[in-house]
Amino acid sequence: MPLESTPQKHSWADEVGEEFDQLPSDNLTEEAGIKTVIEIRTNDEGKKVKITRKIKKTLITTHVNKAVAERKKWEKFGEEKGKKDGPDLSTTSVGEQIFLKLSTTGKQAEVTEDIDSAKKKLLLGKKILCRICKGDHFTTKCPYKDTLQPLDELTTALEEVKNPPNVEAAPAETTTGPTKYVPPNARAGGKTASTDSYSKERRDDATIRVTNLSEDTTENDIHDLFRRFGSISRVYLARDRETNVCKGFAFVSFVLRDDAAKALQAINGYGYDNLILRVEWAKSST
Amino acid sequence: MRPILLQGHTRSLTQIKYNAEGDLLFSVSKDHVVNVWYSHNGERLGTYNGHVGAIWSVAVNSTSTLLITGSADNSAKLWEVRTGKCLHTWEFKTAVKRVAFSEDDSMILAVTEQRMGYPGSVVILSLNQDIDAKQSDEPITTIHPEGSKAMVADWGYLNKYIITGHENGTISQYDWKTGNLIQSIQPHTAEITDLQMSEDRTYFITSSKDKSAQIFESNTLSPLKKYVTDAPLNSASITPVQEFVILGGGQEAMHVTTTGARQGKFECRFWHKILEEEVGRVKGHFGPINTISVHPSGQSFSSGGEDGYVRVHHFDQDYFKFKYPDL
Repeated sequence: MPLESTPQKHSWADEVGEEFDQLPSDNLTEEAGIKTVIEIRTNDEGKKVKITRKIKKTLITTHVNKAVAERKKWEKFGEEKGKKDGPDLSTTSVGEQIFLKLSTTGKQAEVTEDIDSAKKKLLLGKKILCRICKGDHFTTKCPYKDTLQPLDELTTALEEVKNPPNVEAAPAETTTGPTKYVPPNARAGGKTASTDSYSKERRDDATIRVTNLSEDTTENDIHDLFRRFGSISRVYLARDRETNVCKGFAFVSFVLRDDAAKALQAINGYGYDNLILRVEWAKSST
Repeated sequence: MRPILLQGHTRSLTQIKYNAEGDLLFSVSKDHVVNVWYSHNGERLGTYNGHVGAIWSVAVNSTSTLLITGSADNSAKLWEVRTGKCLHTWEFKTAVKRVAFSEDDSMILAVTEQRMGYPGSVVILSLNQDIDAKQSDEPITTIHPEGSKAMVADWGYLNKYIITGHENGTISQYDWKTGNLIQSIQPHTAEITDLQMSEDRTYFITSSKDKSAQIFESNTLSPLKKYVTDAPLNSASITPVQEFVILGGGQEAMHVTTTGARQGKFECRFWHKILEEEVGRVKGHFGPINTISVHPSGQSFSSGGEDGYVRVHHFDQDYFKFKYPDL
């Protein structure tokens, strides 16, 4: 409150402040099952604080044993005698999130592999190659057969386009003309010293932005969709902070820029979940 | 999953136990206090005060009205669960290491320590179910196991016999009416630390300091399954719903300060009960795990450690969806 610093207007500012204090404006808004409570109050230092609380309520009905329900009404005793209901923070706290990952080791996996190899033996000598994704299954069995054009068509298409971003990226490494100053760490010899920033830059280069995703898309869906173009280093799916639903866009970082270019070419305009995806190069935030 | 941490004890936990419905969780430790918690939210319902020594064991009857505890103050106490009132105290010559209710709640057993010239024993006492009734101090039978002392014990189904686990790794079956030994085997090479019955008491699991846990049939004591780990085990429990067993332990508390936490192996290990294969681990304790208990419905499990914490874990949905391939 800058007005308080000037003595002439002191009383006036105070009045306004008090008015605020008397009317704690509790704003209640309800949206998508989330209740938002906005409260303005004065804290110990005399400053006004706006407190926004978001409450999500979910009603869960469970049936419990009669004896259990009865026991929930028991009065506390011993050291807890007379204390109010609910967990006491001095004795009960919630720990960090931990994960119990259940998995099986070798034994079972080996068995299924054997079946696979037995099938392949029957077709020994004939090379199975999917025309769409180059996987070692029949084209009819390709998971992408209805959705994507064959890979080799794609690569030829790419070559025709001549892929301008690749050309742009190349000169930065090769041309070290005398006319332009090149910092030591960017020179051929100094490359190793700055691998960190160098690789970081590369990662940004190989990142694409996917927009117009449907609400119930998950990271796994994105992985499944882009995996076939090359190894993915990172997938970021923007989610709403409260509802945790997809906000409609995602960033996919590939290890190689070529893979990213391939993916961009193939997926842009591709129908997914009744929506037409739009894919473009991610712009650096800086 | 986010575990609930219960900080009601100032010293290491010795045993935790759910009641029959699983809504209450009883914990005892070396700090002389018995705590009871609501298992769904970790709220402490109350404490049972009266023991003056470390408490080794706790047991609750099937209707959750009576509680017994065995302590190093040479006594076992009977408590009213609802009020925390001590109803009776049985005095012994030495510390009580283990207590257990019979299947129909009409009797209790107490395993006493071998110390100060007194032999270790398993005492069978009758119990009046009425809260206001006077309890008898006179034991039905007193069994003195020969050879190694008994560490743990529990009742067989229909109170047919009792099963004891001994310091040298022996498991014995005793007729509690006459005190006679029925049969005995030595499957473990070191101290047996825990013995927990299956739901119908037809088989049971033992954990041992020899780094293994085993499942035996109650009637014949024939070994059914064996789980070999890389750390001394202090507790083992059988889970309903999923066919798992949970094993807990870790290196001895006296060696903890000389090695890193990762070497301590203070994790709850999940093993597949039938296939004897490890399927997962839950970490969190800073010291060896002394006791593990599974909710009777299989929805959650709790572990108590040398670090003085009880951690209540409610399983995620993934846990129940997990299926073994080709099974």
